[in-house]
Amino acid sequence: MNASPTTIAFAGGLLTAGYAIAGLFFLRFWTRTRDSLFGVFALAFWLMALNQALPIVMGIPREEQSPAYLLRLLAFLLIIGAVLRKNIGGGSAER
Amino acid sequence: MTGPALVYTLCLAASALCAGLLVRAYLRGRSRLLLWTALAFVCFALNNAFLVADMVLFPTVDLWPWRQATAAAGLLVLIYGFIWEAQ
Repeated sequence: MNASPTTIAFAGGLLTAGYAIAGLFFLRFWTRTRDSLFGVFALAFWLMALNQALPIVMGIPREEQSPAYLLRLLAFLLIIGAVLRKNIGGGSAER
Repeated sequence: MTGPALVYTLCLAASALCAGLLVRAYLRGRSRLLLWTALAFVCFALNNAFLVADMVLFPTVDLWPWRQATAAAGLLVLIYGFIWEAQ
């Protein structure tokens, strides 16, 4: 990797904040609509935030060099599970 | 294929499917919020594609800037859409 550790940390922090903010928006949508899709998306985006932050905090340059990449897998499994359930089930707002 | 490469390939498939479903939903409903969300997930799918390319296809090429740029673009588009379009 050609980027300096400072650049890597800055970019990682920026993305961590972005994912966390997106997760907050999804949480807000969930509190308004009670649609579980938004709740799952909030959780998934916060997992992505953690996925960005952990390698930086642990001093690992690339996420694939640590188990942190499994957080990305979990996040996308949650997302696709919720989306498929929504499309196949055809459900809208949940109880 | 290593564990991380396999995981990133799965993430690519999931994000591409998600992007496709969102684009289809936008084309049906023409909601602006759906437009921004669909565009964001297209960027996330590109991010996963660059991850796979970085690990599997071009291991000697540093694709880190492209990985971060696509993730940042997706987040910018998503948050913009949430702020300006969500009621």
